[in-house]
Parts: sequence; structure tokens; C-alpha cells
Amino acid sequence: MLAETRIPPPVLAELRAIAGAENVRLTDGELTVYARDATPLFHGMPDAVVAPADTGQVARILRLATEHRIPVVPRGAGSNLCAGTVPLTGGIVLSTVRMNRILEVAPQEMLVRAQTGVSTQALNDAAAAHGLFYPPDPGSHTVSTIGGNVATCAGGLHGLKYGVTRNYVLGLTVALPAGEIIRTGGRLWKDVAGYDVTRLLTGSEGTLGVITEVTVALLPKPAISRTGLAYFGSLAQAGQAVSDILAAGVIPSTLEFLDRTCMDAVEQYAHLGLRSDAGALLLFGDDGDEAVLARSFERIAAACAGCGALAVQTAGDATESEALLTARRCTLPALSRLGSLTILEDASVPRPRLAEMVARIDTIAARHQVTIATFGHAGDGNLHPTCVLESAEDTEGIARAEKAFAGIFAAAIEFGGTITGEHGVGAAKLPYLEQRLGTGQLDLLRRIKAAFDPAGILNPGKLGS
Amino acid sequence: MPGANDPGSIFDPQLLSRCISCGFCLPACPTYALTGDETSSPRGRITLMRALDSGTLPSGDPTLAEQASFCLGCRACEPVCPAGVQYGELLEQWRGYQWTGRHRPLAVRFLIFAAERARAHRIAGRLRGAAHTPASAAASGPSLMLGCFERSLFPGVSRSTLALAPELAVPGRQGCCGALHAHNGEPERGRQLAEQLGAELPGQIVSTSGGCAAYLAGVIGRDRVTELSEYLQGKVAGQVRIGDRRARVTLQDSCHLRNGLGVWREPRALLGAVAEYVELPGAGRCCGAAGTYALVRPRDSRRVLDPKLDQIEAAGVDYVVAVNPGCLRQLRQGLRRRKSAVRAVHIADLLRLAASGGPGARE
Repeated sequence: MLAETRIPPPVLAELRAIAGAENVRLTDGELTVYARDATPLFHGMPDAVVAPADTGQVARILRLATEHRIPVVPRGAGSNLCAGTVPLTGGIVLSTVRMNRILEVAPQEMLVRAQTGVSTQALNDAAAAHGLFYPPDPGSHTVSTIGGNVATCAGGLHGLKYGVTRNYVLGLTVALPAGEIIRTGGRLWKDVAGYDVTRLLTGSEGTLGVITEVTVALLPKPAISRTGLAYFGSLAQAGQAVSDILAAGVIPSTLEFLDRTCMDAVEQYAHLGLRSDAGALLLFGDDGDEAVLARSFERIAAACAGCGALAVQTAGDATESEALLTARRCTLPALSRLGSLTILEDASVPRPRLAEMVARIDTIAARHQVTIATFGHAGDGNLHPTCVLESAEDTEGIARAEKAFAGIFAAAIEFGGTITGEHGVGAAKLPYLEQRLGTGQLDLLRRIKAAFDPAGILNPGKLGS
Repeated sequence: MPGANDPGSIFDPQLLSRCISCGFCLPACPTYALTGDETSSPRGRITLMRALDSGTLPSGDPTLAEQASFCLGCRACEPVCPAGVQYGELLEQWRGYQWTGRHRPLAVRFLIFAAERARAHRIAGRLRGAAHTPASAAASGPSLMLGCFERSLFPGVSRSTLALAPELAVPGRQGCCGALHAHNGEPERGRQLAEQLGAELPGQIVSTSGGCAAYLAGVIGRDRVTELSEYLQGKVAGQVRIGDRRARVTLQDSCHLRNGLGVWREPRALLGAVAEYVELPGAGRCCGAAGTYALVRPRDSRRVLDPKLDQIEAAGVDYVVAVNPGCLRQLRQGLRRRKSAVRAVHIADLLRLAASGGPGARE
């Protein structure tokens, strides 16, 4: 444990010497805004915010912090949803925003090399200039950084067809707590020299090292993308349609569902003209050439109709498609129109259990008398049950919500699923991690953590604690 | 210190609790783009407001003072906010607290002092030749609002407007809309002035200033306020030509017109009808005029403006069109400093030019 989190003046002087005085923030006001990320209810004041410019500076900061036992919490855009970037025990928030250069786009190798603080959107724009694309698209892709995506193994709307961040990370440059700099992987799809440290660091949530540069694989940009939607009487019906669509041999690039409550919230924000008489919405999309799309949309429509869809519609053009996807990505913040505290979870189950899981969530919500709106990546079995409460002061309501979520996690594990599909463990889900992994594996995680970070300075109170 | 810090008394709690810190606003914020610092983002500023409101930060905290002033108040964060946070409203409340007495920037004090001199504006407007119609003309039809500074700074705008829409009544006796006050620490006085103007100009009010239109609509009701480009939909004629070709024009949105009232298609439709319209990349992004900002923080205002001027010059246009007097002044000065060949004009002037078919906009 770290007893002392105040930073002694000589250390501050060194931090200024490393990163430049203007990139070391110390005032109460400046620290206050870095005390939280996008997760409600978690809060921790840092002692300093430092924004280094490159890998070398990061390594020097880490070495200094290890020497003085000062916690370091890496932070990209702070769009984290599991309190993974909250400095629970103070220390240094290491902001990666200044490391925001695309280093190289290599169309022949279909990869891009970028500094950690480049936004996911900017990376994709750079790829698009070469007719390529980076498939993982977390909901916050306009905001989030590629380094943060790798550190959390971010998912998104394309998971079913294209996988998640880990499927695209080829190589990393990482500064370790003792100040060494390592380069894992490289530019190759095939490379089995040594343990797969790249994969270990992907999703390590800033607890093993600080990712400073990434090399990610790209794919040729499909000629056309198209989106459609189907209305159902209930979320369970929509869940059944998901199974039937996949059984029909289609792997859509997008397969998302929203329940009635989510539809209302999204409609209020985006004014898409969603039907108000349906209980659930299934948003589907695919990409490829015209022939592929025609065939897959035909099969999707047939599967939806077979599950009692009230209506199936296809977006008229790319703009309309993009509007639908944007609306889906905004579901969580849009839900906060219903109440100022939204606690979002991320439980996932194997696809065939989706309908059962949805039903279970309803039962649990009723039992604990909480409003839970559910949306999520239906094709991945990845649900985002979201509890909406009047305010953050409603401690009694929060307690009921926590009980409900404990029940949801238990159900997810019972169905062979997990406590978090894509948001991460952070501080928010650490208490449930043992339930998912068992004591033996949890212990292994701690030993791995100790091997990388013996002083325990990196993101304490999170994974590996 | 600005007044007593009574926790929970500065902001409307309903508005302040809306933000869930998702960060979707970050890419839209011009000051966050300049600094990359969370402190100067909408989300960060709301965290600061909450800290002020709860007493976690003392009201004299220097970061609070700096950020309340560094914010452009452009409200670009509002349309991108899925949670529906009314940031503009919160900023008004923040500055209402932060900018009291001697804490108000000097330039703001001067401007508000000047804006309060309604008679002087009336006389200056007359002398400079702003449009006006006899008081008897003001029946129940729509009337043109002149704006406190616009009538003397850009008197040609109201003349052009009247030429395009002769049915408008333009009473000389009309005050300020109050936006200046509301955005600079005097929200109550702002409302008072807006209501007063609403009484002075009964019926539909047409405004040639996007910023004034947005504020006025917020107080007296959207149904009574029409911005000029909305008003002129389908009523424009002619072409603006440079020699034997159509003029190439681009538009700089008015932030509050776009982000507050959601009006951005309308001016584009009008310009596309009378000239070759070119969309400016980032046309919806603030030009740095931002009400009093160009005077309060001239250096930051230029930092925001410079990349925009680059884009305007790169667009290969003859005119950049503004729909708000502050933007017009900012763009015109910036382009003149660069000795640019591109001319900044108000949309009313460009449309009048099209209608008359003559070359060269009057400035």
C-alpha cells in the first residue's frame, strides 16, 4: 500500500523538468476535473496531472514515481465506464492527450502506427484516406483515444463480424513502471516469438504499463454499408430474431437492440421518427458489395418476420444509416434524460441465452424496484442494462440498484457469460471479479501484476489488486 | 471574492445535474481543441461549476475565474450532447455569479455601459443611416429589430433588409435584446431587456443577428422570433456575379443561431440560390468573435480565428457570409489584417446585391 500520496517538492521539480512546467497541473481547480471519468459515483482527487509528450518522458515519469512510490493513473480521453481512470488513492494522473500524432499509415501492409493519444476517429480518418478502415468502433469513438481503446480492449458495434480491439493490435510500445521501454509484437500477423505480451497488455487497463504507441491492423473499406431496423413487441422477440438471423448464415456487421425505454430516450435526442408502439428495436447493418448486401438484408428481413417483427425498414441512404448508428451510440447519455444518475452495466452471455437473460433482467429489476433500461450489442450477447435513478443523492435507490446488478452479474455467470463484455473491470467491477475468475486465477493476475509493477504504483485499486 | 458562496444557490440544480460526464462534447469544444486540457472542456467546466456550487472549490479559485472567461460560450457542445445539457444556460448562471462587481472584465463593463445607452444608439443609428420607418407603420405586421450595436456599426444591414423585405416595420424606438447582459454576468437584466424589446416590437420580430435572435427567442418565445434567413426563405431573387461567372460564396454560421436555434440550412439555401455555394470545413465552429470575447480575450480570439481564416482563404471564394454582426466584424478585421482578397459580408447585403444584380458589395 502507498502510505504517502502527497508529492514532495523535489519530485515536482523533476516532473516539471521532464514534461515542462506548463504540462504539470497542480491547482485544486485543475485537479478537480481529473478526479473522475465517465463513471458515476467514483471519485478520487489526484495530486498532480502531468501530460508528457513522448515515450521517453513517460518512462522517466514512471521511474520517478516508482522510486518515490507515487501512484500513476494513465488517462486518455476519460470516457471510461468502469472508473478505470479514477485516481482512487491520489498520485499522478498521466494524461496522454499530447501524444496525438499519427506516425505512419502503411497501405501495403494495411496497418497504422500512432501515438497513444490519437482519437479513434482520427485514426479511422487517416485509414480512410487510403481506402482502409479500422473496424473496432466503441460508442465513444469520436472522443476516445486509441491507447485507451487498447488498454481496455474496447468493443463496439462491429464486434460480431469484425471482432474487438484485440483482434487488430499488432504491436505496442510500452513504458514499464521501472522506466524500461519495451516494444511488443510489431507489424506482422504471424509472430510467435515469446509469450503474447501484446495481448496481455491489451485490456490491462493501465495496471501493467503505459501504452505510448500502437500499431493496429486495418482492413479494406467495404464498398457499401447499409443499416436497417426491425420493430418487435418485446426485447425477447428481438433476441430470438438475433439467433435466427445468425442461423440463416448471415453475420451482420451490426446487430444492436434497444428496449422501449431506450427508444424513447434516443428518440427525444435524435428525432428519428421511431415507432412508439413497439416494445423493442433491432438495429442491423451489413457491409460489402451490392450483391452481398441484398442477400444478407433479404435473409435478415425474413428472420425478423419469422419472429413476429411488427415492421422491417431499410435506411434510404448512407446519411440515414449513419444517423441510426449515431443514435444507437448515444443511447447511454440519452438515457440520462430520464434521470440524472445512470448506472450502466456490461454483462454478456452466450448468444443462445440472450432471451433468457433479458427476461431475467426484468425479473431482477422488478424484485428490487428499480428502472432498468436495456440496450446492447445483441449479436455479441453483450448487454448494457442501465439503471436510471433520480439523482446521485438517492443513496437508498443506489443501494437497490447495486443489489440488482449483483443479481444480474450472478445471472450472467450462471448462463456461462461474464460480468463485463467490453467496458472493463476498473474499480467498478473489481468486487465481482473473483466470482468470474475464481481465486486461483485472481491470484495469478496478482502475480502477473507484481512481475510488471512490483512497487504497485500503476493504477492501484484496479485490476491485479 | 464574487459574492457569498451559498452552496446550491448558484445554479439551477436540474440543469447542473444533467451532465453525466460522458465526454461526447470534447471534440466539439474549440477551447479544448486549443489546449487538450480537460479543465477547458464543457465537461470539465461543468465539473468546476459543481465544485463551486457544492463549495468544494472556493468562489475565488483562480481556475474558476479563468475558465468562466476562457469559454467562448459558443454552445457547440449542446447539439452534440445526447443528455441534453443546457450548457449556455449554465454558463449564464456561472458568469452571473463569477462576474459580479469588480470581477467583471473591464471590456465587458464598458460594453454593458454602452449598451444601456439606448438613446445614444438610436441617434448614432440615425446618423449612420440605419433603416427606419415612421412610427405609424408599426401595425400588427412583422418588424425588424435593429440591435444595439449593429444599427450604428453596420447600418447598411438594416437598409439592405428593408430593401429585400419592404413590408417590415422598423421603429426607431427599440432597445437592446439583452443577450450581451445575459452572457456577461447579468442574466436578470438580460431577461428584462428582452421582455422590454418584446413589448416595444409587438408581433413577429425579424432579426439580422443570429445571436440576438437566439437569445430573444429563449426569453419571449421561439414563435415570435424569426432570423432573417428564415424569414427570406423562397423570397430571394437574382444572382451575384463576378464578371461573367457566378460568385463563389461560403458561410460562417452564427454559433447561437446554429447551436441554440438549430438554424443552419436556411442561410445555405438562400446563398445556394443566388451564388455558387461552397461549404467551409468547420463552418459551424466558432470564429472567436463570441460576443464580447474578441475584446475580453483578444489573443485567444485570434487563436480561434486563425485556422478559420486559413480555411476561408483555401476555399477559393469571393465572399464569406456572416449572419451575425459580431462574426462579420471579426471576419472582416481578420481578413483585412491578412490583406485577403476574400470579402466578408452580411447575408442581407449579399442578397440585396443579388437582387440588384450590381457588382461589388457595399461595406
